[in-house]
Amino acid sequence: MKKSRSVGASSSLNGLGKQDGESRRKRKMAEITQALNMTPVDVPALRRMAISEGGLLTDEIRRQVWPRLLNVSVDNIPEQLETVDRDNNKDFNQVLLDVQRSLRRFPPGMPDEQREGLQEELTDIILRVLVKNPQLHYYQGYHDIVVTFLLVLGERLATALVEKLSTHHLRDFMDPTMDNTKHILNYLMPIIERVNPEVYDFMQQAEVGTIFALSWLITWFGHVLSDFRHVVRLYDFFLACHPLMPIYFAAVVRLRLFDSLSSSKPSSESLVSDIQQKWVSSFTATALAAIFRPCC
Amino acid sequence: MDPQDDSFDFLFKIILIGDSNVGKTCLVQSFKTSQFCERQQNTIGVDFTVRTLSIEGRRVKMQVWDTAGQERFRTITQSYYRSAHGAMIAYDISRRATFDSLPRWIHELKQFGAANVLTALIGNKRDLEAEREVQFEEACKLAEAKGLLAAVETSARDAWSVEEAFVMMARRLLMQNDTSVADDHTHAVMLRSNSHTVSLTSASSADEKKPCAC
Repeated sequence: MKKSRSVGASSSLNGLGKQDGESRRKRKMAEITQALNMTPVDVPALRRMAISEGGLLTDEIRRQVWPRLLNVSVDNIPEQLETVDRDNNKDFNQVLLDVQRSLRRFPPGMPDEQREGLQEELTDIILRVLVKNPQLHYYQGYHDIVVTFLLVLGERLATALVEKLSTHHLRDFMDPTMDNTKHILNYLMPIIERVNPEVYDFMQQAEVGTIFALSWLITWFGHVLSDFRHVVRLYDFFLACHPLMPIYFAAVVRLRLFDSLSSSKPSSESLVSDIQQKWVSSFTATALAAIFRPCC
Repeated sequence: MDPQDDSFDFLFKIILIGDSNVGKTCLVQSFKTSQFCERQQNTIGVDFTVRTLSIEGRRVKMQVWDTAGQERFRTITQSYYRSAHGAMIAYDISRRATFDSLPRWIHELKQFGAANVLTALIGNKRDLEAEREVQFEEACKLAEAKGLLAAVETSARDAWSVEEAFVMMARRLLMQNDTSVADDHTHAVMLRSNSHTVSLTSASSADEKKPCAC
């Protein structure tokens, strides 16, 4: 919990003037450039930047730093991407169904033609990684993560990073079954109990379960956040941390939501289900903003 | 929240299952908001929606559990079957494969659900008549053969028979729990006259079967 607490604490840095924010932003950009220009590159410093207030600030910086955080050597990525054999792929149909339904994941106002081109690239990245790594299995929600990498990095770089991510951070979610995913979800309640036994008791009593956190966990919140800036800010954080950080973060979000709903106490079975529903649906960018105050 | 929403006479839990992309989430959205969302994304795990209906003066709270269609999520969604009072198994009338999966869904429900769970088949995307691959008669036959409550065709896009399908479930569940609600078959009339009629088998007595009039 130490890390997520320090993140929470950063949200208290507010009330500062715009000018002050701008100068801090400039200073941070200079520090990131400096870390990138060191020989060897100062990865621990980049991690700190990705975690601290404002994260990596711009997509241009992300294109340089995300490969470093995942230890992907940009020089070794082939110029030409392999072509994808869509017809002989067990996951193709499901991938296609999900990608076709992923309209919300693209910036509003993007021309249809451009978006359709990106959707084709999204399908190709996913299938390319799956074909190359037959031990990995597609899950609904995987595309929510891949689309973020595509939009920030472009197809070539995204393919390399997604492959690394899939064989590391996301590896447990890509087993033939969801047993390991359920196992990780089971960490949630003990974490919550450790931080706030009252919330734990309430959730046990309400039989809320942990299913509400499933999409948070396996999409790194990409499925539920509507503002792309929040998604990439969160990905800065997750890429800089241990692969289990998303479950700790889910616990933090849940604890925050409990605080904001603490006037509601379960008095009947019905009320419990209402609160449960409210909890699930009330997770918005506001909750995220309360935890991660965007820089400047 | 509307304080009215908190009070109710009956609470029924309905599980909504079926293959990926048959329109389960759009059905729930149509029931909840009467709106169709063109940009609906896939569901991950389980989503909950609640709406309280008023049926013969009784406030019936319908808690709908909308599930992910992908096979790998079943180990997670199955744990929700047991406490469901009703089940709606959806398929897409324009995609044969989604209908062919129904026996497997019915089997899963038998395996993991309560013994008396009321089950209806929902043939969605009725608006795609030109691309129809499944005839309504087939769904009726399957519903009868498996002893299910009904087969209904819906269109979430046009809000066609969606409300009626949920009301039908609510009514049937109400009848099981409140003997003062008469089985006058009026709920069959509630379906639009230009829609397919529902095949009804009484949940309490099997001899009350109504033929599937198509």
